[in-house]
Amino acid sequence: MTERVGFSMGRVGTIAVNTFTESVRQKVYNILLIFALVAIASASFFAQFSFSEQLKFVKDFCLGALSVFGALIAIVGTAQMLPAELENRTLYTILAKPVRRFEFVLGKYLGSVLLICVSLLIMAVMFGGVLWFKEHKLVADALAGATGVPADELPQTIRQIRAEAFDSDLVKGALLIFVKLGLLAAVTLLVSTFSTSMVFNVAVTLMVFVAGHLRGPAAEMWAHRPVALALLAAVPDLGAFNVADDIIIGNVIPWRHVGLVAGYGLVRIVILVWAAHLIFSRREI
Amino acid sequence: MDAIRTENLTKKYALGWRRGKLLALERLNLRVREGEVYGLLGPNGSGKSTTLKLILGLITRTEGNAWIFDVPCDKVESRLRVGFLPENPYFYRYLTGAETLEFYGRLCEMKGAALRRRIDELLELVGLAKARDRRLAGYSKGMLQRIGLAQALMHDPQLLLLDEPTAGVDPIGSRDIRDLILRLKAMGKTVLLCSHLLAQVQDVCDRIGVLNLGQMILEGHVNTLISDQRRLSFTVQDLPADGRARVEEAVRAAGGRVVAVEHPQTTLESLFLDALRKDRRGMGHHD
Repeated sequence: MTERVGFSMGRVGTIAVNTFTESVRQKVYNILLIFALVAIASASFFAQFSFSEQLKFVKDFCLGALSVFGALIAIVGTAQMLPAELENRTLYTILAKPVRRFEFVLGKYLGSVLLICVSLLIMAVMFGGVLWFKEHKLVADALAGATGVPADELPQTIRQIRAEAFDSDLVKGALLIFVKLGLLAAVTLLVSTFSTSMVFNVAVTLMVFVAGHLRGPAAEMWAHRPVALALLAAVPDLGAFNVADDIIIGNVIPWRHVGLVAGYGLVRIVILVWAAHLIFSRREI
Repeated sequence: MDAIRTENLTKKYALGWRRGKLLALERLNLRVREGEVYGLLGPNGSGKSTTLKLILGLITRTEGNAWIFDVPCDKVESRLRVGFLPENPYFYRYLTGAETLEFYGRLCEMKGAALRRRIDELLELVGLAKARDRRLAGYSKGMLQRIGLAQALMHDPQLLLLDEPTAGVDPIGSRDIRDLILRLKAMGKTVLLCSHLLAQVQDVCDRIGVLNLGQMILEGHVNTLISDQRRLSFTVQDLPADGRARVEEAVRAAGGRVVAVEHPQTTLESLFLDALRKDRRGMGHHD
């Protein structure tokens, strides 16, 4: 009687950790991360207008950097995974072991998510540092009288600076960016299951990235064209994940909204990873 | 029980739109018995790698069936008892030898002390104990083949599929791998070996099969296939000067015919290895 080989999270974890290790050793990843950190750090040098506008700029710029550089890391990091495994034939030795193809696909995806998570954390720490620096600088300037705030309004101004600098909605914004990048990674993974070219994978996913952000306005524009709407339904609504504008103008983002958007992203991710599995399980290696 | 059994195993590759199909393997009926070393020979494109990939479930069969120890090859369970070394294997270059084996061990659900023990055993077996903490980026071709063999053995499979295990390896490395295969055979493992090096196949294989254009054209025991039953050769040492004429006379008297009389030659491989062995600076080795 042959032993049965069930699904193993241990094997998935092994493949995920290996994928992550492999990705962080890629030069392109490190260059992107350095660019992202430099971009985020540069936000602190913007020192015009009122303190409120300065803080808004830092938040707007840094959330944008998190989203754009995070997307590039997610796409480039994921796009090379399967082609590299096929080209180097490392896939043969892995799938010749008692490893299910679904475990391989899921491990690759989770490795990519781990890469996104670590990259976002590093960028978020830098973002936090820039905000902290900005807040200290603005408070110091206010106390030194450089901003021209009258002495009796100073405590109120300092409270306002601190409240604006550390807005808990930033965490919600970062969380939704994380889910959006996970969704992009899933799209890239799906594309790479039927293509062998990394350039093709990156190009297609970048198109999805752009189309995903234009989907909302496009749906409004083509509201009376059912065929166009049906096509649009295939593209994930990435604009829904963008709450930066609300954060910047000070609108409170309810957790319910965060939950709904994240749920939408997770459902899309599950469908995409499953589709990637269906294609990859039939692929001749 | 057969280690490998195929019945009418056929593979056709689609060549693209309106270009038809390529018949890579046609109705292969192969049986590799438990404990034997089987050599699968054939020119490039004859279907050897396709056969291995079908057995490993890496590609899907067009027709027929294949089993590993009676488990259908398309089931993941069939790979519990098989280890595979692909041709010119690449591994993750940033991992050390020990880390590479740990990765493959974890894929086989090994962990803790048992995993560490197995890694030590295998590095010792393939002669890479000293290079265990060196990154694979710094390994020579022969060392990569040996670490490849070690990963194939990680979960102690009864069957090994080796695709050109000595391709691009120098004669010393090639000899090491041949010795390893013989050791594996002594350990009771079954080996299916694909190789172009016919001398090596002759040295290690019990049976061979020859594939050409996707069909098995010859199969049998090596000794039976290569021995000429009509001829007999004696190797005689210290024969006196007139001895040769007397022997030839005796052969003729017995009704035989002397076809060739020559001095036995060593192989170039033996000559090469012997020269290195005698070099006082030691034998160039891969570790």
